[in-house]
Amino acid sequence: MTLLPSALPRPALLCLLLFAATGGMSVVALQPLLADSRPLSALLLWQGAVPRLASALVCGYALGLSGALFQHILRNRLASPDTVGAAGGAQLALALTLLFAPGLLTGGRFFVAFAGSAAAVAAVLALSWRRRLDPMPLVLSGLVVTLYTGAVSAALILVNDGYLASLFLWGSGSLVQTDWSLPQALTPLVVVCTVLVWLLLRPLSLLDLGDEAARSLGVPLTLIRLAALTLAVTLSAAVVAKAGVLGFVGLAGPALAFVSGARTLRQSLLWSPLLATALLGLTDQSVAVAGRFVPDLLPTGAATAVFGAPLILMLVRTLRTDPARLTAPPPQTRHRLPTRHPGRWLLALGGLTLLLALTALSLGRGPDGWALAVGPDFTDLLPWRLPRVLAAAAAGLMLALAGTMLQRLTGNPLAGPEVLGVTSGAAMGMLISLYAFPAATGGFQTGFAALGALGVLLALLWLNRRDGGSTDRILLAGIAVGALFDALTSILTADGDPRAVALLNWTMGSTYRVEMPDALLTGGIALALAAVTPLCIRWLDLLPLGPEAARSLGLNLQAVRLRLLVLTAALSAAATLVIGPLSFIGLMAPHLARLPGLLSARTQLAGAALSGAGLMLAADWISRVAVFPFQIPAGLTATLIGAPLVLLLISRE
Amino acid sequence: MRRLLTLLCVLICSGWALPAGADGLPAPARRIVTLDWGVAETLVALGAPPAGVPDIRGYADWVADPPLPAGTVNLGSRFEPNLELIRSLKPDLIILIPFQSGLEPLLRRIAPTLTLSVHQGVGQPYAAAQEATRTLGRLTGREAEAEALITRTETILSDSRARFAVAPPPPVLVSAVADAHHLWVFGQGSLYGDLLGRLGLRNGWTEPVSDWGFSAVGADRLAEAGDSTFVTLRPLPPDYETGLTQSPLWQALPFVQAGRVTVLPPVLMFGMLPSSARFATLLADALVPR
Repeated sequence: MTLLPSALPRPALLCLLLFAATGGMSVVALQPLLADSRPLSALLLWQGAVPRLASALVCGYALGLSGALFQHILRNRLASPDTVGAAGGAQLALALTLLFAPGLLTGGRFFVAFAGSAAAVAAVLALSWRRRLDPMPLVLSGLVVTLYTGAVSAALILVNDGYLASLFLWGSGSLVQTDWSLPQALTPLVVVCTVLVWLLLRPLSLLDLGDEAARSLGVPLTLIRLAALTLAVTLSAAVVAKAGVLGFVGLAGPALAFVSGARTLRQSLLWSPLLATALLGLTDQSVAVAGRFVPDLLPTGAATAVFGAPLILMLVRTLRTDPARLTAPPPQTRHRLPTRHPGRWLLALGGLTLLLALTALSLGRGPDGWALAVGPDFTDLLPWRLPRVLAAAAAGLMLALAGTMLQRLTGNPLAGPEVLGVTSGAAMGMLISLYAFPAATGGFQTGFAALGALGVLLALLWLNRRDGGSTDRILLAGIAVGALFDALTSILTADGDPRAVALLNWTMGSTYRVEMPDALLTGGIALALAAVTPLCIRWLDLLPLGPEAARSLGLNLQAVRLRLLVLTAALSAAATLVIGPLSFIGLMAPHLARLPGLLSARTQLAGAALSGAGLMLAADWISRVAVFPFQIPAGLTATLIGAPLVLLLISRE
Repeated sequence: MRRLLTLLCVLICSGWALPAGADGLPAPARRIVTLDWGVAETLVALGAPPAGVPDIRGYADWVADPPLPAGTVNLGSRFEPNLELIRSLKPDLIILIPFQSGLEPLLRRIAPTLTLSVHQGVGQPYAAAQEATRTLGRLTGREAEAEALITRTETILSDSRARFAVAPPPPVLVSAVADAHHLWVFGQGSLYGDLLGRLGLRNGWTEPVSDWGFSAVGADRLAEAGDSTFVTLRPLPPDYETGLTQSPLWQALPFVQAGRVTVLPPVLMFGMLPSSARFATLLADALVPR
């Protein structure tokens, strides 16, 4: 939107433009039914196509309003139902209910979604409470909670594929309607919420004055915030319950309002919902028209998620315009003293990792229950277990090294290859090769993965070019890539063909298909890249001192940054091929190394590498035995173990 | 499609012509593990039940009949079956289907594998299932039983066909309900679609479908097949009773107005001859009661 001349885009004008486009597109969409005079066509029009349009409009309004509320209360332009965990929480709650108490869904769909949504948002708020709801940690917590709920839903689908196949459809947000029940259910709710929001307008706008001033005017701050949050959660939960996940609409509405010039709360609350309405209407009607030309269902939610990524990137640029309100100071890491015995700690970590490897190789479940393989049994099972153990350990090690470098490079304890989107880029590359060139071999896929990682890396460098890389901007670009990856996966899995489940398995990071040559290759790459890292130790020791200090000590910052980023991308891409885009190992391992005081670059790298390998070994072993005879992809298990730890870190740092 | 079919025929025929054992497969196989429910139901019908089958709870819900004998080992997921468990069963043959072919290198380390293509891109699953049944009969040393199963299924099909010929029903639209607004519909190339043709019925879904023979569609598109008889298969989602069938659009669909809506017990959409016979019988019993 910054491409438009700055005088032109008033919110009203933009709104009018979008609504005109929506109108035009709906004429195209409805044309065949309007032209047909048979009685059934009239019904299809009035009970199918028109309610669909109405649903898109009312859902768009609800999401836009919800997003505007979240953004105002949390003082955060990136807040939205999708980025504070509201949508993910609702989705998981509904999946669990569908599986364990389907009867509840008949009348209680909304309440289930609301409970899940509220729980997730509460968790995100609680986690960022200690950091005074800083925008960045808050959105990161929200993102992690969203990823976590997504991972649990995926695990449920993998173990119950036949039963939850329809979740694919619903998760991708289709707006197909057969009656007016959705608009009928949502409209009164939206009207009531809107009236309540406007009644709260004055106390809400006083929040802008700051807590002190607002309190001195006698505004019950906590009560106002709680009320507005409840309204925001209600609106988004209702949409998820009725229509599924329509990603990023709640982010887009307020964003469009802001870039077109809406600055005050009143303007934002007026225009955000309207712009979101027009945007979802336009998307949905375009999808409806496009749907005529393909045999399979095109879900609207997947289409909205596609514009999520460019949108976040665009918002990243607006961050500069209003720095005081939107950028948080770089989080201070808690002060720790370096340990006096780094050697002992490293030895202990190494021993523990070795013990985990031995356990993974010898302990498993068989037809007769738990079995410890010794002697000939052990050697018999070795060809089955060793490749997994080796590949998992190597991948964990590489992610840990990448994470340590990124954290020292960006000075941000929340950086990691997963958060930066490098692993998502690699996975996206693989995904494209799988669907576009189904006959491709493993080597071809590896090439695509490396290209994907490199693409993300270049995008990061591009964002980086002007002011030497504000950490926030890099992190947000990573979030954007992750969102795009999600969108692609949900488009590809929406029609529920058997490939969808296989794809899900594979993107979730399964070590199942790793064979000895692959494992040796992964191990070899890990060793080779690890051998390069000692060359970076001086840079990594100097960088956390800050750019000025590093420069005065003789570092060529641009060159050093570039080299470290390339090394990080190589490490992340190689690891992603084995354990998928999510795992949080790269984020966690550096912190685990810091806990006992391994603080210098050398000891932190070594400690993180050992903990990363150990964590991944544990995850792979748990995947193998936890739901025997079924298995969970190791990357997914790592996420399930890792995400809570990450959340803990976010709240502590 | 045609090329694939030819290729398949060549593959199956070449296997047929070779003396058993020459292609590295044991003859007759005593302990078979299969990763596909369609193969599993056929083996049960031949009297040579597999030692292990994935997701046994799913088999009970989606295939239902013939039941697996007690003691069949549950191998976990159909996508990533438990390799250590398969290995502990010491099979002499592992049978899979094309979409599992990525597992072949792993499974070959345990036992010889055979990939049977009945559904994916074949176009005529019923004929492919007959050929696959012969192959299975040969591999288990139960050629006679295989021929008997083929004849028995043919008899059941022609019996049903005769019943439909007496009172020809409108085209049949076979579907599986996903939720209140979405269904999977089965067209050209699916097992159900193939069987409809063999039963002398027209398929109510004439739109293009995926390579697998089905498509996910919104319920509004059912109007395109309004003249059909609507047939859907269990298991049904809770949304069927409370969502889909309550909507005015559904109520107004010609087949609903005319009362041509039928819910059948489960029949595996990727099944083989036992599922085919079951589908023919259930459909005839529902549409033209004796």
